[in-house]
Amino acid sequence: MKKSLIVLLVGVLVACVARVGMAFDAGRDINVISREAGSGTRGAFIELMGIEAKTDEGTIDRTTVEAIIANGTDVVLASVANNPYAIGYISMGSLDERVKALKVDGVTPTQENIADGAYKVARPFNIAYKELSIVAQDFVDFIMSAQGQKIVSGSYIPVVEAESFTTNRPSGRIVVAGSTSVSPLMEKLQEAYAKLNPNATIEIQSSGSTAGMLGAIEGTCDIGMASRELSDAEKEQLTYLVMAQDGIAVIVNNDNPVDNVTSDQLRDIYVGDVTRWSL
Amino acid sequence: MTMQVEKLMHAVFFIAALVSIIAVALICIFLFANGIPAMREIGFLDFLLGQRWAPMNSPPSFGIFPMIVGSIYVTAGAIIIGVPVGVLTAIFLAKYCPAKLYRVVKPAIQLLAGIPSVVYGFFGLMVIVPFIRTYLGGSGYSILSASILLGIMILPTIIGVSESAIRAVPREYYEGAVALGATHERAVFATVVPAATSGILASIILGVGRAIGETMAVVMVAGNQARVPSSILQGVRTMTTNVVLEMGYAYGLHRGSLIATGVILFVFILMINLLFSVLKRRTNYGS
Repeated sequence: MKKSLIVLLVGVLVACVARVGMAFDAGRDINVISREAGSGTRGAFIELMGIEAKTDEGTIDRTTVEAIIANGTDVVLASVANNPYAIGYISMGSLDERVKALKVDGVTPTQENIADGAYKVARPFNIAYKELSIVAQDFVDFIMSAQGQKIVSGSYIPVVEAESFTTNRPSGRIVVAGSTSVSPLMEKLQEAYAKLNPNATIEIQSSGSTAGMLGAIEGTCDIGMASRELSDAEKEQLTYLVMAQDGIAVIVNNDNPVDNVTSDQLRDIYVGDVTRWSL
Repeated sequence: MTMQVEKLMHAVFFIAALVSIIAVALICIFLFANGIPAMREIGFLDFLLGQRWAPMNSPPSFGIFPMIVGSIYVTAGAIIIGVPVGVLTAIFLAKYCPAKLYRVVKPAIQLLAGIPSVVYGFFGLMVIVPFIRTYLGGSGYSILSASILLGIMILPTIIGVSESAIRAVPREYYEGAVALGATHERAVFATVVPAATSGILASIILGVGRAIGETMAVVMVAGNQARVPSSILQGVRTMTTNVVLEMGYAYGLHRGSLIATGVILFVFILMINLLFSVLKRRTNYGS
């Protein structure tokens, strides 16, 4: 009796595993995954894709309420990697082989295609400040130098052909705060800078683009980071520099047969007008 | 000399006792001082009964009605799944379990209580969500997933408190029933368990408290859509997840509205605790 029960249980388990590996069913609903309100990646994505609508009173985020909300790039990655019917978007610098990046309007998201403007879903990484201390100025010089831009080119698109960097090693402490998408890059830059100038201490805080700009305006940080264009109000109060370009990759599960999506389809999917994978 | 030491230690104990009271008071002050002005600015009814949550729109809307409903649905689901399993397990442990098996089962349940909620969340994400997506449809991120996960998470609380309640029933109840000719089952289910009702209820209410306050596990499996769901296979956002999702980016009125969400949650927990003490008092008078 007991034995047969165990055999039955094992059978059910095997059946479960077998069904998980089933073929892709294009008749099923698209599981739209979005980021939370306030995320710089979401802000840039909805603006680029026309998901954001302008009305007389202001702007409205038309992302469908049925979208699953994932609070972080890692969560989007894990959700899409485990769900054959999911679609999501992440910073191209964070892309890995667990998911498949779709072509948008037939263009593959590569560094070259972003640099020459062929891949449309791209956004600037900005740094912004009011006044720079000597150390902060030195760090900004480093970011915009040949060495700094070489680090940028690791996963992102450099923006300037710059000269090589030399430092007279000023000492002091600065705080860099803002976008969670920019901070992985900023950490790499900081490590490299620390080797050139061990006298400076640079503290990096990931708090989101808007919080970073606010910190720079209020003086709670020396340099703010934003993974989107600055708003007009922010531009008025801050000096800003584009330090890198980043693509936003539209990702689906590796089992998903879809390779290409048009920007209109993408908008319709995120607004909720298209709900099935049989595009 | 001894008097002085006595006095000193008295002060030490008093301060220790004060710490928790001060903590509660500070949390209350912080929550209400930041939350009430935001609620007033949004409009109390618009905040509580508003169906639309769009904090980044201009003009923004801050309605947390979907989150209140979400918290209630998910907690109710957890109770429906967790309570029968938990109470029956407690009865088994207290009245049926052979000593040998008890030595295995009891530590296993205690281990369940010690697992961090983010690990539960990961388990839910990797096992429960795909299971529901494959067999029941939808995206898998759903009220059902969250309920199953929370149902498991509240088991240790329910089992622990219920078991001690059942064990606390005087032996005479059981022996009297058996002496009158009742079978073991009859004695347990008709005399011992009813006598332990107040303790079992207490365990359920503690479970409700845990379920409604749980955040990290729920955020990973619930889908977090801010709208009133129409099926248990649809995703849902609870009050706790609303706060944790957006707090990192929020500022101004958005931040205030998240703290105000915390205020509403706090009021819910307060009501649950009140209900708990009322229930406890009434059952005590009854027996």
